[in-house]
Amino acid sequence: MDMKRDYYEDIQLFKSNVVLFWSAVLLLALFTIPLYAPNYYIYLLNIIMVHVILAVGLNILVGSTGQISLGHAGFFAIGAYGTAFLMSMFQVPFVFAIFIAAFIAAFFGFILGLPALRLEGPYLAIVSLGFGLTIMHIIGGMDVFGGRMGIKVPPLDLGIKQLGISWVLKTDIQKYYLILIMTILLVVGARNILKTRVGRSFVAIRDSDIAAEVIGVNLTIYKTLAFAVSAFYAGIAGGLFGFVLGFFDPFTFNMILSVIFLVMVVVGGLGTIQGGILGAILITYLQYDFLKNIAEVPYLGALMVAISKQWFTTVGLENFSSMAIGLIMIGIIIFEPLGMFGVWIRMKKYWMTWPF
Amino acid sequence: MKFRNKALFSFIAVLAVLSIASVTQAAPPVGFDDNEIRIGQWGPQTGPAAPWGSVARGSKLLFDIVNEEGGIHGRKIKYFIRDDMYNPAQTAAVVKELVERQGIFAFVGGVGSATGMAVKDYLAANKILWIGPAAADKDFAFPVDPYLFAVYPLYKDEGSILTKYIVDKLKMKKIGILYQNDAYGKDGLEGVKDRLATYKMSLVAEIPVEPTEKDLASQILRLKNSGAEAVLMYLTPTPAVIALKTAATVGFKPQWVSSNTLSDYPLMFKITGGLWEGVITGAFGEIPDSMNPLMVKYREAAKRLTPEERWGIFYSAGIVFADPIVEALKKVGRNLSTEAVMKALNSFKNYQTIGPKITWTEKQHQGTDSVLIQKCGPGASYITLQDWTTNDLATWKK
Repeated sequence: MDMKRDYYEDIQLFKSNVVLFWSAVLLLALFTIPLYAPNYYIYLLNIIMVHVILAVGLNILVGSTGQISLGHAGFFAIGAYGTAFLMSMFQVPFVFAIFIAAFIAAFFGFILGLPALRLEGPYLAIVSLGFGLTIMHIIGGMDVFGGRMGIKVPPLDLGIKQLGISWVLKTDIQKYYLILIMTILLVVGARNILKTRVGRSFVAIRDSDIAAEVIGVNLTIYKTLAFAVSAFYAGIAGGLFGFVLGFFDPFTFNMILSVIFLVMVVVGGLGTIQGGILGAILITYLQYDFLKNIAEVPYLGALMVAISKQWFTTVGLENFSSMAIGLIMIGIIIFEPLGMFGVWIRMKKYWMTWPF
Repeated sequence: MKFRNKALFSFIAVLAVLSIASVTQAAPPVGFDDNEIRIGQWGPQTGPAAPWGSVARGSKLLFDIVNEEGGIHGRKIKYFIRDDMYNPAQTAAVVKELVERQGIFAFVGGVGSATGMAVKDYLAANKILWIGPAAADKDFAFPVDPYLFAVYPLYKDEGSILTKYIVDKLKMKKIGILYQNDAYGKDGLEGVKDRLATYKMSLVAEIPVEPTEKDLASQILRLKNSGAEAVLMYLTPTPAVIALKTAATVGFKPQWVSSNTLSDYPLMFKITGGLWEGVITGAFGEIPDSMNPLMVKYREAAKRLTPEERWGIFYSAGIVFADPIVEALKKVGRNLSTEAVMKALNSFKNYQTIGPKITWTEKQHQGTDSVLIQKCGPGASYITLQDWTTNDLATWKK
């Protein structure tokens, strides 16, 4: 049903007027949310969008290029520390600081891409895992970055201090709009990358790197590029994340975070933009909101507390949240390998071919 | 030129949206009503710091007792525990959620420095009280944050008191120190040095330890060669275990003295395979089998209400951090407001339950400088060596 007749049809941002209409509605909704949602949700949405940026970037690497990374918390940390450090120590304006930090992350991504030329599967996973942990400990050992005690993020000033222009974003709502705009730009950017020659090379490498090389895809360039692009996204996400929090320490970017990022991509759907977005939304919401407050959910909460008292230890309910995320991951892999995006495709197919 | 128009248009749109958003946000709901007062605490129930999660559950015991006795002036306490996995991002999220959705009157306890720093300014901006952070970070009490009341004795004061004990009571002259290379360890080191300066003595060995180090052989040999009779530890559990085990294998047997962070003897005894016996530590709460009438009351209540919990030092610490708010709420009476409770807290003078004596004034929110000195006896039992002792060298009191 999604048959493309020419290239230009394929690269269209909105495939039909229906898609255009609903995209407009979605954008309108996103831009007006702060008018009616309580403030707490704005904070949650900020974190969700940061994770969306990261998951979309990670999906370019994991889903589209077929390389694994368990070290994305490292790039995330480079983005966060880089941005905060450049702004507070060298008075670099925000817009430049976050992009410089993201390019530093991309450079490290390129470095991590080099061993990926030789390594695959579990071996690459180990290398990237080591990378993430190393970054965390190196930052923790350096006093200029606040060591293990963490650093306070400077005020989010969109102006340029050197020119005397200052525009400080203080509230969550202001930050929401900044992050929303960045998210939209980066998501559209990711989609465009995947529709170009570069993106198609990524997919070719995923399907078979030998075949890709035979048809003229330069593996050295495109594999390292995939790492660099993905790290760039993580760097931008990290830079924004720092301002959402206001304060962070190296252990914020631990190994578990890298694993959670991977869970987002797998649960959402590998290799699609929508998959990254859906996964980031679902996992962040579960982890930060639903599973935290499960004891206060009507009926279900009381049931869970009773089960936990009966069968688990004193902190059974809290442990349940980790188990729930693990179960979701296992369930997705067994029943719906395409992730939530796969569910969406099937629903769409069902309605389009109805009543057959 | 079409592109430039588009770019200009989107730029203006962005500016407009961000300016609209500058409108101030609505205030969060009030933290109490006629029937209940809502109090919250964050703490690691899962993740790397999960053993400290019992602090938050200990506070629950106190609130359960208070509610059983009929509440405070007709209001029950509704208590929320949120797991932050020791991760500041999650702390900020759970605190915002509690404040903005449930409406919280005050927070008590809260394990961790970084986690606390992530929400300190937010709580102050929303005028929410925070009593007894479960970490001795200088930034909590200095400079004074009117809404934040610290209970935990500073590591610097503790280091000074422990050193005095070693020199005066144990008559040991050669003292070495193993300290974690961060604010925690360096604060302790500073206190030790200040005290030694008054005796015109200096440390025979001063060895920093990275918290991730897994091999302390060279450090222990340096200590051994320095001839240290007593070794102070400002470490986290894992390096402390490695230090004791390494020392045992090279036959180095000094008097080990540690900060209160390692005062959970049953745990330390178990993970060191019994080597913890004889270690002296500071402590900020009565020993678990103390006959102090309040301790007896809490211990009995714990057996009855939460039989599944281990009655340990961190569990009862949860009570120490939660006691002041209950006392202040009782003092204020039926006519409740944040300002009234703040006023009550600022008038605390030598208030003591099962922790140190607490004194707060408007200009001084570090509640105490006192610690107990305890020793691990056979079978991980607790022996009190010295009653509550203040630090006569504490500079912040002057």
